[in-house]
Amino acid sequence: MSETRTPLLQVRDLAVTFGKGRHAVSAVAGVSFDVFAGETLGLVGESGCGKSTTGKALMKIVTPSRGTIDLEGVEITRLKGRDLRNARTRMQMIFQDPISSLNPRRRVKDIVAEPLDCWKKVTGDERSAIVSKLLNEVGIDPFVYGNRYARQFSGGQCQRISIARSLAMRPKMLICDEMVSALDVSVQAQILNLLADLKAEYGLTLLFIAHDLAVVKNVSDRVAVMYLGKICEVGPSDVLYEAPAHPYTKFLLGAALEADPDAPTHGDVLEGEPPSPIDPPSGCRFRTRCPLAQERCAAEEPILGDIAPGHQVACHFPLIARTA
Amino acid sequence: MSDAERLLVVEDLATTFETATGPLAAVGGVSLTLDKNETLGIVGESGSGKTVLARTIMGLQPRTNVTVTGSVLLNGHQMVGVSEAEKRKYWGTEVAMVFQDPMTSLNPVMRVGRQIDEALRVRLGMSKEDARARAVELLELVGIPSPQRRYRAYPGQLSGGMRQRVVIATALACSPQLLMADEPTTGLDVTIQAQILNLIDELKERLHMSVVLITHDLGVVATRTSRIIVMYAGRVVETGSTRDIFHGHRMPYTRALLESSPKVTSPSHTRLSAIPGRPPNLSRLPAGCSFAPRCAYATARCHEERPELRAAGPGHDFACWNPLAATGARPA
Repeated sequence: MSETRTPLLQVRDLAVTFGKGRHAVSAVAGVSFDVFAGETLGLVGESGCGKSTTGKALMKIVTPSRGTIDLEGVEITRLKGRDLRNARTRMQMIFQDPISSLNPRRRVKDIVAEPLDCWKKVTGDERSAIVSKLLNEVGIDPFVYGNRYARQFSGGQCQRISIARSLAMRPKMLICDEMVSALDVSVQAQILNLLADLKAEYGLTLLFIAHDLAVVKNVSDRVAVMYLGKICEVGPSDVLYEAPAHPYTKFLLGAALEADPDAPTHGDVLEGEPPSPIDPPSGCRFRTRCPLAQERCAAEEPILGDIAPGHQVACHFPLIARTA
Repeated sequence: MSDAERLLVVEDLATTFETATGPLAAVGGVSLTLDKNETLGIVGESGSGKTVLARTIMGLQPRTNVTVTGSVLLNGHQMVGVSEAEKRKYWGTEVAMVFQDPMTSLNPVMRVGRQIDEALRVRLGMSKEDARARAVELLELVGIPSPQRRYRAYPGQLSGGMRQRVVIATALACSPQLLMADEPTTGLDVTIQAQILNLIDELKERLHMSVVLITHDLGVVATRTSRIIVMYAGRVVETGSTRDIFHGHRMPYTRALLESSPKVTSPSHTRLSAIPGRPPNLSRLPAGCSFAPRCAYATARCHEERPELRAAGPGHDFACWNPLAATGARPA
């Protein structure tokens, strides 16, 4: 991955803390990453690792407690009011539960047109032309289904409608938060293929947040692995899945179930569960479950640094040799 | 395999719900057998009838608006058409079930230990002290650290993985011979999923149980079952050894299901072969093969006449007019 490409989104030391004092939970504890124009960055991790909160913080649905978010060179963490709303048209989010993210009592065409209605930048004719085009592109016939209510659709169709709505303002970037995890495999494949087609057509940049390792690998150019509020490894997807540098990534991949009876029987299973983000371990956050942990891991927090070109890891004892 | 080794024999089991829009055939005539110490996988998408099938085998259907026909012989006991009191004799001791959602299958305002020893006291007539001691043993058996302390915990104080371990402990309380696990790891993280599946495997060996593993995820059944049943629209469309299903499948739906799921081992941006359309409405099933409207190989016959299961080899059956070649490569 060439570092000369311009990042569309630049996140530095982003942190989100819920609550105060003794009960403060740092859901995201300082993450930095770039998303380059036209690429898909996958963000993967177990529940509670902060991946969804990161996505929400980028949209400012939750307020970051620290850090900066640069979208096309504009720092958006301090934006308010109209400026923030303007910035949000450049970046849209698609949520996990397709059914609850649409108002069941509104008509499909009005749901898709809502962003246009908010901005009042188009005439009535343009509005219906844009809505019809978007619905056609996501595979829903606007003349047959446009006047139906959202509640009349299945999960997969609702997700198509959500995608159409998110594209209405022609955003540069989509944040997809577990967008296929509620769908059956056959429908999931349809939606992933649709996303790939639309990405090419609209020149989109994606941040794809999911827990399913196979899905993340399928859609992403690069993958970032999160554990307990921090990024522990970032790299090109094929490289990272082939030769992970962080022990956590290796365990995560080892636990992924391959649909093949001849797959090598499961490697070492990670014992225990992630510690509480209220009181994270000192030093490396993974050290309490890491078989390679040594004294240094408790004393000193590993910093995310290059291990190979375009491949960063935050580990004192990485699993692959350093070539960068 | 002699009949003595058969733990479960299901014949032509059908479950039909009465709905406002007419009868809905959730399970439409399923036959299966399960041997002692065997793990059977039941795979299908949502609405394929796998959960209703499991609940019907258990005898857990609602009291009204449902018709069950066919036969379920569990260790020689008929479970269909008998009173609830009769079925109750076999719940827990012969067959127990682990449900999908560990949040809702435990009572949130009852300590977890109580939920385990309730079964022991009611079903096995144990004293309070004995039941408590046994419950702590069970918590230890399912790998819960400091079981003495956890005995007094409420479900809300445990993580999802721990709660599922507690649910497994309650299911195992009366030493059932058959454990029905309905999506036991859906909603759990991958590392926890691996722990729970390994635990079920291990307990099966230790306690000489048979297991029915119901899932939508082919990865879950690939290395943990000896036989698999693939369901679509309430019927069995293919059944065989795990190897037959993965490498020698004949039914196009089985292949479509296998190919539509992304794989960790394939390179990124591999185009997925999606199945067009979606599963049929169970109250308006097509006349022929239920999969025909979505099938790439469907012919006129597929739309008119429903294929019955036929043998592809020993223990391997499929329901299709235009099956794939025996290697699973091309249509024959």
